[in-house]
Amino acid sequence: MTVPTYKILIVDDEASIRRGLRSTLNGLGFESAEAARGEEALSLVRTSRFDAVLLDLNMPGIGGVETCRRIRRNSPRLPILVISVTDSEDGKVEALDAGADDYITKPFSVKELMARLRAAVRRAQMPEEKQDAVITIGDIELHPTRRLVLKSGQPVHLTPKQFDLLRFLMCHSGRPVPHERLLKFVWGNEYQGELEYLRTFMSQIRKKIEDDPANPKYLLTDAYVGYRFCEA
Amino acid sequence: MMALAGGLNRKETERLSALLSFPAKSAMGILGLGALTAGALLLHLNLATVGPLYFLSIVLVALHWGFWQATVVSAVAVLCECYFFIPPVYSFDVADEQGYLALIVFEFSALLVSRLSAREQSNARDADAQRRSMGMLYELSRRTLQLDLHQPPGPQLLRLVKEIFAVDAVAIFDSDLDTIDVFGPFPLDANEMARSTCYFEVNQDHDDLDLSRRVLRLGTAPIGALLIGGRLNPLTADAIASMVSITFDRYRSFASETKAAAAHQSEQLRTTVLDGLAHAFKTPLTAIRTASSGLIELGDLKPAHADLAALIDEQAVLLNSMTSRLLQTARLEAGQVSLKKQMIAIADLIEEVAAEQSGKLGDHPLQISISDKSLATRGDRELLAAIVTQFVDNAAKYSTPGSSIKISAQESASEVLIAVHNKGSLIRQQDRERIFERFYRCPETRHQAPGTGIGLSIAKKAAEVHNGHVWVISDEQEGTTFFLSILGSKGEVIDRAHL
Repeated sequence: MTVPTYKILIVDDEASIRRGLRSTLNGLGFESAEAARGEEALSLVRTSRFDAVLLDLNMPGIGGVETCRRIRRNSPRLPILVISVTDSEDGKVEALDAGADDYITKPFSVKELMARLRAAVRRAQMPEEKQDAVITIGDIELHPTRRLVLKSGQPVHLTPKQFDLLRFLMCHSGRPVPHERLLKFVWGNEYQGELEYLRTFMSQIRKKIEDDPANPKYLLTDAYVGYRFCEA
Repeated sequence: MMALAGGLNRKETERLSALLSFPAKSAMGILGLGALTAGALLLHLNLATVGPLYFLSIVLVALHWGFWQATVVSAVAVLCECYFFIPPVYSFDVADEQGYLALIVFEFSALLVSRLSAREQSNARDADAQRRSMGMLYELSRRTLQLDLHQPPGPQLLRLVKEIFAVDAVAIFDSDLDTIDVFGPFPLDANEMARSTCYFEVNQDHDDLDLSRRVLRLGTAPIGALLIGGRLNPLTADAIASMVSITFDRYRSFASETKAAAAHQSEQLRTTVLDGLAHAFKTPLTAIRTASSGLIELGDLKPAHADLAALIDEQAVLLNSMTSRLLQTARLEAGQVSLKKQMIAIADLIEEVAAEQSGKLGDHPLQISISDKSLATRGDRELLAAIVTQFVDNAAKYSTPGSSIKISAQESASEVLIAVHNKGSLIRQQDRERIFERFYRCPETRHQAPGTGIGLSIAKKAAEVHNGHVWVISDEQEGTTFFLSILGSKGEVIDRAHL
């Protein structure tokens, strides 16, 4: 199998982690560049072309979140994968809000990292979908203009708010969507923080589209962060 | 014995001086009266003038020397008046009843006035003594407030009582610390006397020994004893005892406060060290895992190499989970976890945990039974989920192979009761409390599955911060059930109008 040569920028202040990532990525056929600080990463992004950025959140200087925000401002389609420590859920959400595509928690397995990285790069290289295009993921089909959802060809009845939520998640398939963003999208600013509403809705949607709602295949929970619709 | 002799000698001396002064003063009074009579005879004063002069001299004697001296002087005055001034003069005879009456009235008035003056004098002396003792008590209370509470209070109080009240001997017994501090000579063994005062609760003033014994009390409980050797008003001794008791109490509260503060500080330090360590561990762990999982991902390894790489990978994951859990329990114990409280539907919580754990249950089917879908509570979702996850994880690890795991939730009074049941894994009676302690693992099962002995201690702490409770029941036939009880919030069920 031929692997396209992606060029990855590794941004982490810890040399041992950069070294581990560099050896692994190179071994797997990727090209890599390194930056120990956010500022350094910004100048590299400006001068070279990368296919994805692996970005540590906890760094001296401007820090990961701000670096993410500035990269996103200059390169709207460059995939950014955030690397964070276990107990900083707020940091992950902040990074996703700042434009990160996905996150992975330290210490991670390379297998999982590669899966996320490849998915992010693939998404970025796909032509931008039209707003009204039909989205098909697995045996779920969503028709935005007809406001219709089909599961294995059979129509699924959804309330208008359930439909809006599902469409939003399917449009961002493969990416974690933080709770607040979903709440804001469906109910507007006033319901931010009312997580229980969202959980109730998700459980309703799961009952309608999943074969086994207790073990969801499509509508996945990203613990303490939000939800993710599985990738096509 | 020397001390006893010393005490008696002093008393005898005082009594002797009192005995000596009585005839001397009486003689002086009689002499003065003689001089007054002689003067009156020379000046040819009559009875009407001499009577008040005698009266005045008796009052002066009463005021300055005392009642008994005045009585002697008044008797002599009556005789003089009778002999020199009441007709017939130069005879002790009295001519008529009027003369007798005059003498009786004179003697009676003299005695009455003497008595009143002497009492006034004694009251004034008492008031003065009381004022002085109030002053000393005030001084004692002021200086006890300045005591160094880092040091035991006994020796310090001893010094204060000795200095301020100038007593011959003081002993303070602290039954709590079982120490006795003694200053000066006591007629009997001070140590024994102080202990018996405290244990038999004796409050007594021994006038013959010049000794006051007082029980030191906190509320009604005896906490020590105070012995004072020397002449002291019983009320003053009571007040000193109260002051010493209060100081003991202050010392104890201060000591326990200091201890609590120190414990809190050391707990904070421990958490900070753990926190720092845990974060410091993450970087090398990440590098190790990147390397181990990277090796596996690169493939092309000989079976033995692949096996070793997998071993490194697994152990790095285990070490990481230990680090995270250790950190979490340290934070919970130090009260550093800020709870993100929100309404939680119990059914959703259990479903979420079940979904998350479904891949880790091996051959154990999971059954969920919730009596009422509207069961809800207010709490930190992450922590409550961690409790249920821990119960399920335990069940999966230790239950009989192939047996099912049941999660149930029901309402019990105002509480929500969540139970996780599995077959097998009997937990001995003596281990049922201990398994919730950090690092404790049952000796029978510790080799059955990998674990750190931290998970259940997190569950316990997490329940406690919600004012909840966790426990386990275990029985050969029934199997093992872990319980969590927390306050329910059924009244605030989720508004489903938006569905």
